[in-house]
Amino acid sequence: MSGPFAHRKAINRRPVGVCVSFQLVQPATPDEAVGLLAKAPAGEISVLGGGTDLLFDIDQGRASPRQVLSLRKLPWRYARWEGATLVVGSTLPLRALEMDRRVQQQLPGLWEAIRDVGSPALRSRATLGGNVGRCAPASDLLPMLIALDARVRILGPSGVREHPIDLVLQESRKTSLGPAELIESIIFPSAAPSCYVWQRVQPVNDISQVGVATAFLPDAPHWRIALGGLQPRARRLSEAEAVLRSARPTHLEQELAAQEAARRAEFVTDRRATESYRRRLVAVMVRRALQTTVERMPGPRGPRKAAR
Amino acid sequence: MTDAPLTLNINGQDRRLGAVPDAERLLDTLRWRAGLKGTKEGCRTGDCGACTVLVGGEPTLSCLLLSREVTDEPITTIEGVATVPIGRAVIKAFAEAGAVQCGYCTPGFVVALAAQLGRSTTRPDVETLIDGLEGNLCRCTGYRAIERAVELARKAVP
Repeated sequence: MSGPFAHRKAINRRPVGVCVSFQLVQPATPDEAVGLLAKAPAGEISVLGGGTDLLFDIDQGRASPRQVLSLRKLPWRYARWEGATLVVGSTLPLRALEMDRRVQQQLPGLWEAIRDVGSPALRSRATLGGNVGRCAPASDLLPMLIALDARVRILGPSGVREHPIDLVLQESRKTSLGPAELIESIIFPSAAPSCYVWQRVQPVNDISQVGVATAFLPDAPHWRIALGGLQPRARRLSEAEAVLRSARPTHLEQELAAQEAARRAEFVTDRRATESYRRRLVAVMVRRALQTTVERMPGPRGPRKAAR
Repeated sequence: MTDAPLTLNINGQDRRLGAVPDAERLLDTLRWRAGLKGTKEGCRTGDCGACTVLVGGEPTLSCLLLSREVTDEPITTIEGVATVPIGRAVIKAFAEAGAVQCGYCTPGFVVALAAQLGRSTTRPDVETLIDGLEGNLCRCTGYRAIERAVELARKAVP
């Protein structure tokens, strides 16, 4: 018995929604996983992280791999601090990061962005690696990863390479990873006052129309502003960052940065929002995110008053 | 690999489930092979929470999970939750608050709430518990009765 409907008979004509069939491979070591990927013909194998996107895509007929390679048995479900640097294994469920007090305290923007992904039950499967690999333009996590100068450690047949997140992301479902490469871990170089804000039609279980991530990094140039909800993917807005010259920008500087962000962002109109609506959102959201980031800085609270 | 028999630890028992195809979801395995129909299929896209079960004690959506990926973790369904004191208290609270109308979403709510109440060493406040149910949708009750059930359940669980 074979063919796409084989398992339907096997389970006695029970009403299973979609008749898909693939072979699941669950390698136990990273080398084995890379070897399997290298051997598989192009386009016939899909990598499964948490599965919250791939299994949905398979149901919808957007993906029909012959083989699915699960990363679940690989030893990549960890988060460890090396000084101020946080290294997160690519298959660690988001829920584990969310429960980590230190993440909440030292990378508040990342913590917020994680909390905004799906629901708790979804986050117990969804992973950071999966979000990077999927490269969804509306991802809530990717703007924050960009704002925090995250680095991606990639494992392939020729060893390990490490790149800034900005060089890895390309467009929806497309990254700079080679066919036999896997995301091993995501590295956050330093703790940073940061903030993530979003706008959606519904507060949960919806996709953000716009996401704004801001962070104040320890090394100059300090400020980062990154937007999600852009085509083809989340992006930094250096022009808006350049407006912010001090650690505690004035309200006027924050406003100017927000306006610059709204002017520069390459929004498009899609079914979630129009381009002009997104621009108006961003003008408000960037200001709020900057204000919150400033409030989260250690020391005297609040931005300094504008000089008259 | 497809023909290898699958054994899953469900509600504390090792259940032999036969030749489960690689592509089969835990939701289908539970309902159609293990005969545990308390777990419901709602959207099958990870949005509604009706299919919530506990995998390794964590609420997880069984519609977006391959059965063959969870061979090494204990699975608890609503049928298992209903046999422990916390689960019974939550079910009683739902009944008393009138938080059940059509009842389709209720198993998901009960599993997600019981998991929170069971895990916490300190009692989480009602707000936190309700936040934990944000992935469970209910189209009948308007949620007010469910919020009352959460309050009752929190009082009932020591």
